[in-house]
Amino acid sequence: MTAAAAEIENGLGTLAGTGKILRFQLRRSRLFLFWWIAGIAGFTWMVVPVITEQYQTEAERAGFAATMSSPAMLSMSGPVEYVHAYAESVGALFSHRMLLWTCAMTAVMFVLLVTRLTRADEETSRSEVIRSLPIGRRADLASALLVSVGAAVVLGGLLALAATGLDGGDGASPLLFGAAHTAVGIVFAGLTAIAAQLSENASTSTGYGLAALGASVLFAGAGNAEGNWATWLSPVGWSQLTYVYTPQERWWPLLVSLAVAVGSVLVAFAMVSRRDFGQGMMAARRGRATAKPGLKSATALTFRLTRGLIWTGVITLVLLGMAYGSVLGGADDFADGLSAAQKEILDRGGSDLKASFATTFISINAIVAALFGVLVVGRGRKEETVGRGELVAAAPVTRGGWPGSYLPAALFTATATNLVGGLGLAASGASGDGDLFGKIAIGTLVQLPAIWVLIAFVFAAFAWLPRAGWLRWLAWTWTLLVVYFGALLDLPEWAMAISPFDHLGNYPAEDFSAAALVVLTVIAAALAAFGHLGLRRRNLSFN
Amino acid sequence: MNAVIRTENLVKRFGHVTALDHLNLEVAQGETHGFLGPNGAGKSTTIRVLLGMLRSDEGRAELFGADPWKDAAELHRRLAYVPGDVALWPGLTGGETIDLLGRLRGGVDKGKRDELLERFDLDPRKKGRSYSKGNRQKVALVAAFAADVDLLLLDEPTSGLDPLMGAVFNECVKEAAAQGRTVLLSSHIMSEVEALCERVSIIRKGVIVETGSLAEMRHLSRSRLRATLKNPVRGLEDHEGVHDLVADGLDIDCTVDASALDDVLAQLAVAGVAGLTCEPPSLEQIFMRFYGDELAASGVHEGNGK
Ligand SMILES: Nc1ncnc2c1ncn2[C@@H]1O[C@H](COP(=O)(O)OP(=O)(O)O)[C@@H](O)[C@H]1O
Ligand SMILES: [Mg+2]
Repeated sequence: MTAAAAEIENGLGTLAGTGKILRFQLRRSRLFLFWWIAGIAGFTWMVVPVITEQYQTEAERAGFAATMSSPAMLSMSGPVEYVHAYAESVGALFSHRMLLWTCAMTAVMFVLLVTRLTRADEETSRSEVIRSLPIGRRADLASALLVSVGAAVVLGGLLALAATGLDGGDGASPLLFGAAHTAVGIVFAGLTAIAAQLSENASTSTGYGLAALGASVLFAGAGNAEGNWATWLSPVGWSQLTYVYTPQERWWPLLVSLAVAVGSVLVAFAMVSRRDFGQGMMAARRGRATAKPGLKSATALTFRLTRGLIWTGVITLVLLGMAYGSVLGGADDFADGLSAAQKEILDRGGSDLKASFATTFISINAIVAALFGVLVVGRGRKEETVGRGELVAAAPVTRGGWPGSYLPAALFTATATNLVGGLGLAASGASGDGDLFGKIAIGTLVQLPAIWVLIAFVFAAFAWLPRAGWLRWLAWTWTLLVVYFGALLDLPEWAMAISPFDHLGNYPAEDFSAAALVVLTVIAAALAAFGHLGLRRRNLSFN
Repeated sequence: MNAVIRTENLVKRFGHVTALDHLNLEVAQGETHGFLGPNGAGKSTTIRVLLGMLRSDEGRAELFGADPWKDAAELHRRLAYVPGDVALWPGLTGGETIDLLGRLRGGVDKGKRDELLERFDLDPRKKGRSYSKGNRQKVALVAAFAADVDLLLLDEPTSGLDPLMGAVFNECVKEAAAQGRTVLLSSHIMSEVEALCERVSIIRKGVIVETGSLAEMRHLSRSRLRATLKNPVRGLEDHEGVHDLVADGLDIDCTVDASALDDVLAQLAVAGVAGLTCEPPSLEQIFMRFYGDELAASGVHEGNGK
């Protein structure tokens, strides 16, 4: 056998079993994939008619183009070529405003996905089990990348469908719009594959991936503001440089994305062979020999352990709020041209559609913020199931301190993320409109009692029925369903009323009910007390 | 004599499994008490009831005379615990974890902490996720031995340590005992318990089947007797206190109940003894008496010797 043949043989051998792992990974990440793809595509699907209605006439679009041509505005959107095409193409205006956001969301999705499927698995030694089966050492990376490519293609396809409602451009424009996201997806999948080999743990790998995204957004912004080469340094920029829905529309910048994606995948594969299982290319940094003075109570520990989650929530909500805010935009009156379904979801009554949209965005912010609180409670449960809590539980700490401190941590997380989400929404959606800014701020505060009820309920469930983790998800998913689809699906009154968010009133579209806020706060307090009682009465079981 | 730990007819069930079945355990102040039993016998469950993590279904448990379920947090001030399988926070270093556990208890004795780190040869700057099982255990051991407490609850603390570190561990337990601390050491390793503990309780299927000092237990158990006689001796195989007799000409090999030793030796003396050895039972042999049937059922030969 020649050396080259041996090399090929060896290469194939290291991929053995990829199919088996692929099935395993697909099963493990199906919910993740479903929610992320539905979220990004659904967001676009909802925003298409909003923008279309907001800028109906050529004159309106030309006027908007004037305000969008300043370098500052360009740095927060996209290349100026799109602005020149505003008048003739709604699609150009839409792509200009949205590509940066939806591409950034797509990038986050693939950073998290690839980390999950590679580094995180290895860290918890789940894949140590798999690797002891007759499966090649590169198989799990190969399968993670196959999952990613599949997900990127599906996401691109759905986004292309969502974009078919846009005027301007030609028949291929929606496809290019979708492909621009597919390209971002595979580039970040490839970059994260490298990051996962470099670092020794999942959080560092996610960090590298998100840092790459941050740099991409910065370079794209800098390049777009001045119309210079810097955009070409950014994976997000390559997608923007397709000038989709403009007369200059072109596919070839996506070849750059493809080349970079393929290149980084090859690098990642080369690195897999050069490192030991469970190790990173760079050794983990050594940490502190002694604890900081603040780390001296169970509560301090809980906040320390959930810190990463809190920051993820804050960043997500700021981005989400600003993305929604950019939709709220300039014009005041919309004509009715939305499809009946879209209108049903967005319309919160009242005559002012803008206030109505703001209302919807505020409650979506609130529910996403509550999600981070729910995740914090889930962390508390995990401390128990993986046994880490045992050392604290054996220390002089009451049940209220551990695991009870997961309640304040969850409340803090949900409250803080909701507030920054509202701030992002107000800052980008109502800049210069003091009245709307104030309304969004109040609307955001109004959400808090309902968030607290949800968190306190989830906490009580954790206290009394620790094994029923599905209850957390049921509770949260229910509130989401009611807010998003309650009216559309014609859910019965009582079923909607189970969600605390259903009692807030629809501020700023309509009035809010002060009495309901007081009652909800009392219910939250009662649930919290009930939860603490449950914690004192139940066994702690560690394994 | 003051009991630091006392359980009376303690029962703990997990669904249909009865983990503790009327368990009676008593550990006096200042003693190092071995808690022996194979996996699944109920050692960890007992300790977790004593820590107030699990609520007993029947019976009573007392720690320092108080109820561990009601006064857990208060009682924990006076004890330190090393779990059987130590899980650490992946993002916290060993040093941070040790400091946190010390501060929860009111403060860390820096000198003692550093000395123990040195003795156990533990790098405090590594993150929890990168420690091996043995090193995770060392983190919990350093935190426990550095604490100024009256009681140490150690649940199979050496299962991941290499022999060298096992020796360091033994020293630390002896020092703690010398300082008057009470130690409950759960283990399925006989030699460890034999080396450290003056009293031992043997647990089987949630019941304490034997408890007492090693001397007492030896006394209650059979010794192994080997002798070379000058003349044949008759009737030994029919003696009530003699077991497992193998006679090969003038050589005999058997085990003898402590109560029958007098009598048997007298018979041998009549026949004339050319050579004789008599070994007290090891803890392992005592243990085998309680577990022999279980091991035989699972295919291990019940032996009186090795
Ligand atoms: N949380 C639990 N749920 C169900 N069964 C348990 C639980 N903890 C222990 N058991 C069962 O109780 C018995 C005693 O276990 P354990 O106390 O861990 O034994 P040991 O520590 O002596 O090995 C075993 O049969 C075990 O399966
Ligand atoms: Mg155990």
